Amino acid sequence: MKLHFLKPLLAVSAVLMMGQSLAETKVIRAGTEPTYAPFEFLDENTNSIGYDIDIINEIAKKAGYEVEIVRCPFDGLIPALMTSQIDVAISGITITSERKKKLDFSTPYYHSGLTAVILKENADKYAKIDDLKDKKICGQIGTTGLMYAEKISKESKAFNTNPEAYMELKSRGCEAVITDKPVNDFFLSKAPKDHFVALDDVVEAEDFGIAVRKGNDEMLKIINDGLAELEKSGKLKELYKKWFFE
Amino acid sequence: MIKIQGLHKSFGSHEILKGIDLEVNKSEVVVVIGPSGSGKSTLLRCVNYLEVPTAGKIFIDGEQIEPSTNINRIRAEVGMVFQHFNLFPHMTVLQNIMLAPLKVRRQDPKEAETQARELLARVGLSEKADAFPDELSGGQQQRVAIARALAMRPKIMLFDEPTSALDPEMVNEVLDVMRDLAESGMTMMCVTHEMGFARQVADRVLFVDEGQILEQGTPEQMFSNPQSERAKDFLSKIL
Amino acid sequence: MFDLELIFNSLPLLGLGALVTMEITAVAVAFGVCIGLFIGIAELSSYAWLRLPAKVYVDFIRGTPLLVQIFIIYFALPALIGMRIEPFVAAVTACSINSGAYVAEIFRSGIQSIDRGQREAGRSLGLTWGQTMIFIIIPQAFRRIIPQLGNEFIAMLKDSSLVSVIGFEELTRKGQLIIASTYGSLEIWTAVAILYLIMTLSISRLVAYLEKKFNTKKVS
Repeated sequence: MKLHFLKPLLAVSAVLMMGQSLAETKVIRAGTEPTYAPFEFLDENTNSIGYDIDIINEIAKKAGYEVEIVRCPFDGLIPALMTSQIDVAISGITITSERKKKLDFSTPYYHSGLTAVILKENADKYAKIDDLKDKKICGQIGTTGLMYAEKISKESKAFNTNPEAYMELKSRGCEAVITDKPVNDFFLSKAPKDHFVALDDVVEAEDFGIAVRKGNDEMLKIINDGLAELEKSGKLKELYKKWFFE
Repeated sequence: MIKIQGLHKSFGSHEILKGIDLEVNKSEVVVVIGPSGSGKSTLLRCVNYLEVPTAGKIFIDGEQIEPSTNINRIRAEVGMVFQHFNLFPHMTVLQNIMLAPLKVRRQDPKEAETQARELLARVGLSEKADAFPDELSGGQQQRVAIARALAMRPKIMLFDEPTSALDPEMVNEVLDVMRDLAESGMTMMCVTHEMGFARQVADRVLFVDEGQILEQGTPEQMFSNPQSERAKDFLSKIL
Repeated sequence: MFDLELIFNSLPLLGLGALVTMEITAVAVAFGVCIGLFIGIAELSSYAWLRLPAKVYVDFIRGTPLLVQIFIIYFALPALIGMRIEPFVAAVTACSINSGAYVAEIFRSGIQSIDRGQREAGRSLGLTWGQTMIFIIIPQAFRRIIPQLGNEFIAMLKDSSLVSVIGFEELTRKGQLIIASTYGSLEIWTAVAILYLIMTLSISRLVAYLEKKFNTKKVS
């Protein structure tokens, strides 16, 4: 049996091992799924950017750490945290009591306000989010928006990413997409102007937190101290303005 | 050279060989005849353990065959030629002949090639060394198959209906090679329907029917004066 | 309506994804061929302790969706072994194990299709079972199964899109990520489909060429 097909494998595993040893320097490995613009998404050069990314970078800088962004699907973040493959997860994660059982959360760094995007042709039908009660509503799995949709309608439908939910709306598969206001605003800024509108109504919902492994108090302290400082210095507000259409 | 004692072979509940005792001496040429389904091919295939006997003992050159220990070594001493040639289609004629000497005998490649070319010359196919089997006629393929078996320098050659799959005009070129081989003193066991060949070359003819050796003798005795009714019946149909 | 510029701008990234897709497919099929060869032979073994586990493996893999196998390896297995598995490792493992089962069936039928006389000729010359397999049966079987192996390669290439669910950034996932910030579903999925098509067509050409080369010239 010829063995040269193993060579690329060896090369790959060598690279993987190098990645491992790099992780032993003073680095915060931050897991995120960059499909939630403007919280986390990719720029043209495939770098992860967004509000969350800036926040973790600021916190790390203050504490003297480097940040290694680990891209990972949303459902993979919690397993990755629990097995110490990443140190923190920052991915627009809503603080829920269910998640608190498995993870520790930082103090909230984002106060969630939900909006609904609908088709412009339906603009007359709905004034408030709660007018969508028992209508078909789409959202992204695991997000506050979908949780709210499920609360007011049994007809809610979950997609893996938000853009898929918008496509469903576009093809009239549902009446509305409910998600965080900045996410909807970012979408509206990119979408054809005459197609979609957002309802003016904003619903308060649970806050976002940065998750760490349960019992990792050292990391939790670094994060909370950093957030407090960002809050105090006004940096948090600055980032908010930078990324969100306020 | 070959000694068979109390050989039985069953496939499931169907008993093909029902107690065969046979001795073949060095340089003897034994031709096995009999109706189809009589067990003559199975008898031949038991000699090199392509079929594992249900009961009985087989000795090759004084050594008993024990499948667990020496089967490959003994098979190397027993050449076999098949009805359908069974040449290896992905190899050239030369590679076909050299494979076993290289892999089993661990012969030097140069030496193996020289020997292979000599054998090809002996079966009259020198110019076909680099051809592939499917570029040859049936008769040529069977001659290559004989050369391939001879490359192991076997002490015994088994022929399982070597001419049955051939067009009639090719039968003789194969029989000629076999005749030469017999004259050179090879110990041979042949299952064949070529009675002319049997008459000319065989030292002894066995008549096998329903899993037993019913009758045996010199070709003269067997063909002109068969004793059993079944042998008479069989011979009257094919002679 | 159709934003060509978006496609043009995304091409480098999608091309990178296509390379990753090729890589994972090639590695998975290479492993798959090794696994498949052994499992295929084990399936034909006269020893039940070899044959039965091989059969269970093949039945389990072919009887469950690749997507579920990927979920098991990426999400369920870490809970069992207490260690997270890198998306690349999980993706390669899932695809290799999956491919192995299909290749095993291809090898099994390929080996079975070789005339019994070939094996007997080999054994009658004193070659061992292993030598007969390596020098006589497998080379012939291999030539015969090149088209099926090519089909498996193409099937694997397409199925590898499923590893996007664990965030492994191959072509499909790259497309998903680009859409997440550009919302260009129509353009990006069209481009992704065309890239897959280019790859699968190239492979079938290559397979046709190999088949011709092996089966007419008989280079050994």
